[in-house]
Amino acid sequence: MESEKTSILILDDEPIVGKRLQPSLERKGYEVEVFTAGSEAMARLAQRRFDIVITDLVMEGMDGMQVLTAVKEQYPETEVIVITGYATMEKVRETFNRGGFDFLAKPFKLGEIVEVIARAVAAQKSGCPHKFQGLMSADTD
Amino acid sequence: MNICTWISRAYRREKKEAVPFRILFAEFKKSLELNNRILDLIADANDKLSGDYIFDGAYIQATCRELSDLMRQLIGTINLLTRHKYSGLYSSFHLIEGEISALLHGQVLGQVKDLVLSYRDISRDLIDSVGGKNAHIAEIGKLTGIRIPYGFAITTAAFSMFLAENNLQDDILAVRKQWRQREIAAEEAAQKLQHFILDADVPPKLEKEILASAKRMARRYNYSTPCFAVRSSAIGEDESSSFAGQYLSRLNISLDELPQAYKEVLASLFAPEALEYRLEMDFRTHEIMMAVACQLMIPARASGVMYTYDPVRPERETMIVNSAWGLGAPIVAGEVPSDHFILDRQPPNEVLESQIVSKDEAVFLQGSHGMGVDRVAEDLRTAPSLTDQQLRELARIGIQLEKYFKRPQDIEFAVDQEDKIIILQARQLRLQQQREPRASDLADLGNRYPVLLRGRGIAAMEGVATGPAWVSAAGRALNDFPMGGILVARHATPQLARVIQRAAGFITDIGATTGHLATVAREFRVPALFNTENGTEVIADGEVITLDTESLTVYKGAVQELQYYAIQEEPIEEMYEYRLLRRVLKKIEPLNLTDPAADNFTPRACRTYHDLTRFVHEKAVETIIDLNFYHAHHKDSQAGQLLWEYPLDLILIDVGGGIEGEHSEGVRPEQISSVPMQALLRGMSYPGMWDMAPAGVDFSSFMSSLTRTTSVRSTAPEDVGRNLAVVSAEYTNINFRLGYHYTVIDAFISENILDNHIYFRFSGGVTETIRRSRRTRLLARILSYYDFLCEVHGDIVVGRLKKTDRERMLHRLFLLGLLVGFTRQLDIKMVSEETIDIFFNQIKAVMDKEYGI
Repeated sequence: MESEKTSILILDDEPIVGKRLQPSLERKGYEVEVFTAGSEAMARLAQRRFDIVITDLVMEGMDGMQVLTAVKEQYPETEVIVITGYATMEKVRETFNRGGFDFLAKPFKLGEIVEVIARAVAAQKSGCPHKFQGLMSADTD
Repeated sequence: MNICTWISRAYRREKKEAVPFRILFAEFKKSLELNNRILDLIADANDKLSGDYIFDGAYIQATCRELSDLMRQLIGTINLLTRHKYSGLYSSFHLIEGEISALLHGQVLGQVKDLVLSYRDISRDLIDSVGGKNAHIAEIGKLTGIRIPYGFAITTAAFSMFLAENNLQDDILAVRKQWRQREIAAEEAAQKLQHFILDADVPPKLEKEILASAKRMARRYNYSTPCFAVRSSAIGEDESSSFAGQYLSRLNISLDELPQAYKEVLASLFAPEALEYRLEMDFRTHEIMMAVACQLMIPARASGVMYTYDPVRPERETMIVNSAWGLGAPIVAGEVPSDHFILDRQPPNEVLESQIVSKDEAVFLQGSHGMGVDRVAEDLRTAPSLTDQQLRELARIGIQLEKYFKRPQDIEFAVDQEDKIIILQARQLRLQQQREPRASDLADLGNRYPVLLRGRGIAAMEGVATGPAWVSAAGRALNDFPMGGILVARHATPQLARVIQRAAGFITDIGATTGHLATVAREFRVPALFNTENGTEVIADGEVITLDTESLTVYKGAVQELQYYAIQEEPIEEMYEYRLLRRVLKKIEPLNLTDPAADNFTPRACRTYHDLTRFVHEKAVETIIDLNFYHAHHKDSQAGQLLWEYPLDLILIDVGGGIEGEHSEGVRPEQISSVPMQALLRGMSYPGMWDMAPAGVDFSSFMSSLTRTTSVRSTAPEDVGRNLAVVSAEYTNINFRLGYHYTVIDAFISENILDNHIYFRFSGGVTETIRRSRRTRLLARILSYYDFLCEVHGDIVVGRLKKTDRERMLHRLFLLGLLVGFTRQLDIKMVSEETIDIFFNQIKAVMDKEYGI
């Protein structure tokens, strides 16, 4: 049963982000684990693979880009979604260059991240990740 | 040369030189732009409270920083324009900025300075001043058909005064720090902290006010020897973060004992359990404050506790009541045997089970001696302490409170000497379940319950509701709407808000989340799903349904998993970031300065950022007019007042080719050669537009109202404000204040399509929310219909149109002209929801007639 569900790891140093996202995503049938400390999230990632990792960018003691790089190295199949309140074009580019799936500026609507997750899941299933779709839409904005 | 260098030079030359108009105007436009950005940011921040967004502390910090930064620039522009005439704005700004910064650092600022506040004067908004318990019971007292004890709050302002006059703040901080760093145990910290409070004196001014309020209350309600209940009402101590039993309540307090009891209750703020609890709940140091409730004790005949669910077996759908004779304290504490009743949760709330015990002793109020244990009269001992009628009344109140607070309730009540039920306290009841309901259990609900509707609509208020559907139809009276029903209607009309206190939820086929019903639903926390398209068709009247807005689904039947899940989830509104955003917005969003002609329209009177923006905008327009029209005439501009048949006090400033001919006596409309201004004025003076009145419902009567001749001077002059238009041959920038509305139009129209633009912005209006929201929707609909890119922030409507050919641009300006005249008194006219369609058609008819578009 467990293995059939899409697993998501959420890392954000502000507890409210996980607190809001976890119940909503679980209701959609996802299996969700939430972390506020980068080191703990990394330790958990060393133990098991998640289908999707959602990470904040600017955190105390950990840079979200490090998380992104580490995850992609260890689990190339895992899709990483970057969320941040400090969105710049540069960070968006870096996210995609490092293999991130998409980039979301905080604050965002619940529906927006649900939609991005659904796309990530679809990309994983079809086996052809739409890596640059997000980049193009971000560029035209 | 920019304005700064110009001003410094002008000062050196003793102000002989007039500022070139293009520089003034550039600064003026900068101030408009800042003004708009500030108002948009405020409206967007307000939106974040809807529950739809994921935002964090960093967002609140960044928004406040940006707002403060823009505010500082805005105040800079008006002072540059006016040569520092309004430097007083800086002190108001610094004051507000300081308060916001204190809030961001975790301080709670009580909103009132009053030391005591009567329950009649308390609303939910004052929760940070009067504490959860006071705000909660006062709010309950405002619900129809529910009685509460007479009482008043001793506010957090009193608490601050108590600490300040006894110099306790630093000592308290030091001990808390020792404890948080684990240098001393919670018990030791608690003991020290409590001693600080108990050894201090109640400040004389505070003591006087407490005693005076208590005496006044006793006199008003004819209590000759009043006894008081003094209870804690800490910040954060309310139905959602229940500290039940952790703080002190002192009962049976005589007038003389009130100050001592007040101190004892304050001291309980630092009980060891309370210290630990707040640490766990992430309470910030400055959120720890205590307000106190002081209530007249009720000489109760009987008392008890009701649970609106069986906390151990909620699935049984029953309510539980325990009651006994006399006062309630021993019943709550479980010290005396009490009668036990089980009631059906469904109306008519039948008593399913009753166990009547022998009640030999009870506690009664005994005049000036206070409470005492007494033998119960022989014949009453084995009699039920509540009648069936009282039980049913309690059940009704219990469900009413549960619907209102969206949580199962744990209610303390008393029955007074007249056999009336009085609610003493109500808080969230925690349900025990076999296991915690988990969100993941809800993932496949669709396979287990019949789905009536899925994936359509938008949530106006998030939540879960179960109840019988009540499908609204023509001729069906809202008065018959049942308690706990879910209202299903075609349109989300504001009239439906009337049933808000009885409704468990709303579902409509059509409706906007910016509408009045949505606002009310959010205020009362009633789940609402709008725009389902066919809800009224697929939901049968009387059928029990479950609405889940998060998954945009309506199930047939009662989906218990959802209900239990919904009542166990932490309410979003109570999360720290929501509390914080609400608090900072109180310093930012309310508008107190509404009338520029009032005596208090001054920099000093500005209490929020909104006030400051309003003041600056008014003065910026006034300054441009004064400098160009009444005083210095620039070489590079000329100014004149529009001579028009309508009472529009419009000053035109021509910066090149916008006005023709001699105009020392004023500018006649035909002298205006500015192309965009011509088009606008043509729309504004279109027959009927300036004075249109609401008429009947059918279209023909509207056409007649359009062409009806109207009294030209029907508008009182005070309704019309200072208005400014800066024009050139191809350009117009307009700032109108008509009544309480602000309209800004900025347009450039030439043969070159790429340069063409129109910007339209409409805001303000002091009428009730309903009509404002109708107006917003009407404008948005018209603008979108005529190709404008339309944005709505709260009640601000912005329309943009670019890169369109000259002819079409002029048609759109004509349309804006129609709207300016027409919206002038629109709020008053938008008496019903139908007026949106009606006015839309009316405008469209004019456009069709004029341009065939």
